[in-house]
Amino acid sequence: MLSIQHISKQFGPVKALNDVSFEVPNGQILGLIGQNGAGKSTTFHSILNFIKYDGTIQWQGHPLSPADFDTIGYLPEERSLMTKLTIEQQIIYLARLKDQSARDIRPRIDDWLGRFAVKGTRKSRINDLSKGNQQKVQLICTLIHHPKLLILDEPFSGLDPVNADLLKQAILKARDDGAAIIFSSHDMENVSALCDQLVMLRKGDMVLHGTLGEVRNQFGKTELYVTTDWSATRLATLPSVDRVDQRQPGQYRLHLTDPAAGPAIFAELTQGHYIEEFSQQPPTLDEIFRLKVSEDHA
Amino acid sequence: MHKTWIVTLETYLRQIKSWSFLFMVIGPFLMIGLTVGISYLSANSASSSKQVAVISTSQPLRQAYLKQQTGTLNTKITTVAAAKSAVKKNHLAGYLELRTSAHQIRADYHGSSTMASGLKAQTQNFLQQYQQAQNYRQAKLTTQQQRLLARTPVLQQHIEKKAGTANLAKTISFWILVTMIYIILITYASIAAQEIASDKGTKIMEIIFSSTTATSYFVGKIGGILLVILTQIVIYLLGGWAGFQIAWHSAALKPLLTENQSLITAVLHNLLNLNLVYLFLGVIIYTILAAYSGAVVAKAEDASKAAQPVVMLGMFGFFATFPFQNNLDALFVKILSYVPFFSSYFMPMRIINGTVNGWEQLLSLLILVVAIALFASYIGSQYQRLMLQTDSRSFWQHLIHGWRRQN
Repeated sequence: MLSIQHISKQFGPVKALNDVSFEVPNGQILGLIGQNGAGKSTTFHSILNFIKYDGTIQWQGHPLSPADFDTIGYLPEERSLMTKLTIEQQIIYLARLKDQSARDIRPRIDDWLGRFAVKGTRKSRINDLSKGNQQKVQLICTLIHHPKLLILDEPFSGLDPVNADLLKQAILKARDDGAAIIFSSHDMENVSALCDQLVMLRKGDMVLHGTLGEVRNQFGKTELYVTTDWSATRLATLPSVDRVDQRQPGQYRLHLTDPAAGPAIFAELTQGHYIEEFSQQPPTLDEIFRLKVSEDHA
Repeated sequence: MHKTWIVTLETYLRQIKSWSFLFMVIGPFLMIGLTVGISYLSANSASSSKQVAVISTSQPLRQAYLKQQTGTLNTKITTVAAAKSAVKKNHLAGYLELRTSAHQIRADYHGSSTMASGLKAQTQNFLQQYQQAQNYRQAKLTTQQQRLLARTPVLQQHIEKKAGTANLAKTISFWILVTMIYIILITYASIAAQEIASDKGTKIMEIIFSSTTATSYFVGKIGGILLVILTQIVIYLLGGWAGFQIAWHSAALKPLLTENQSLITAVLHNLLNLNLVYLFLGVIIYTILAAYSGAVVAKAEDASKAAQPVVMLGMFGFFATFPFQNNLDALFVKILSYVPFFSSYFMPMRIINGTVNGWEQLLSLLILVVAIALFASYIGSQYQRLMLQTDSRSFWQHLIHGWRRQN
């Protein structure tokens, strides 16, 4: 388990992290969200001991030390490989630094290249690969030694939906193998699809923490999804309806000021008749993210 | 240690597989080969046009001249007309016309330029001897009289050959050693700085530092570069040995080598001792400094700038030795022979000249080794921070910032 307790970090006058605490048990995925500059990469750098910080970070019950390096898989935010090497040389070099033998890694390379649908052979030079394929090679370097602690900084950035799915499968596979996984992302859909729990940082402060359900339910069931022949203007007259957004013709999302108004709205809208859609839900992660960001701007 | 070796091997293989290394190593061999080849071709093509023909109506006189002279004479041309024609076609440098008139020998040289000084001296010597022999015969002198007239004063120089050779050996050894340190330093300072600076601020460093410690990685990098240096030295030593073997079996060069056998042995003796350790340790400390400079630059493109302070320091050490070659008892020399970065130049100089005892050599060496260890340890502790920072501070700001953080 990765345990982060009360970590703070100051860069000159800027507070990058302020008393951040969370835990990532083995076999679980934690999503770290926040705007640019919120402190996500600083959190990762603190875990990896790249920077000094106040507070405690422990991995499997002890502070992270060089002895744990071989169990870590780290994907930095920007991609960077040794461009003059071939794919095979690059993977083997980084795997050997994770105490893997070339003899063990070499037979696995083709399988991994196939799994991530890399356009190129093991003898292709990194320099000759497209940006997307370089990113996939870097992902392979991060995963091929079966790490027990996976730290992925913006792993989905630059990947098309097909490749993003391939990455999701790889992350889920690592989770099933017992790895503790922490990743950052701006794509709330990916976070919702993958995470067992999430943490949102805002200017170094932890403003949200919990499972996806816990976080969403903190905001109450304020979103009402309906399919009806009522107009938006008429829907806005319903009790406690603060805002009406049209999703598709005949499909609306109503934002409620009071979640308890749900039954009354249902009664008025249906008049005891069949209605195709009436679903009262908490806000989506994307909406929560925007809400939390806007709170800071208010 | 295992991971350090992986980094060392990767650095080493990448460097020696590069075209720049290949050109750097074979460059001097190519230069020597080209120089020898061009000299040979030039000597061959010019040989006929440098020759001088000897023409004479007196065959005994001509034969006597040809017997004494060697090398640049053309023996085939025997007439003035043929010689004139050959000079005109630039096949001959000129021709010498020998004749006797009223018991006086006369030589006339005809050519497009003056007679070569060596040939001129030899010709004058021949003419004098031949004329003297003619004169004696003409004067009908007895053998006793001839001997008396031939008596000349004697001037002879007595040089202690051993001391002369030793001094020359010292000078040659000194120059070989300081030049070797200087060339290796100049070449590898920028390679080391570039090697480190090219990683600066890249995310690959984050991946590497999540796999091994910064110190281990730094030592691995330095190890890789030192292995490259060692490879180049070994190739040059092998090349030098091969060249020596070729020269030894060459009819033209063997006499020269045999004549200078004691000098060669003395130079090798001066080089293949503690001085070689100083050479290697000197290269190590300068390489570490260059690597540090590479880590301090703001971005990879500034690597060439990074090597400059190291090169300047090396140049200072190199040129500072010049005025003190014949004044090794100067306090300045004694002090600098203990100061790291300079001791690699100054202590070998004192060792070659035999003006320093074993304890002093050991002390200087100890200071150098300790300085290398402390320096490497300090940089190792700073390396991760330096390599991961990506701000836009200048080289000097980084340097000062680094020291402030340390103190």
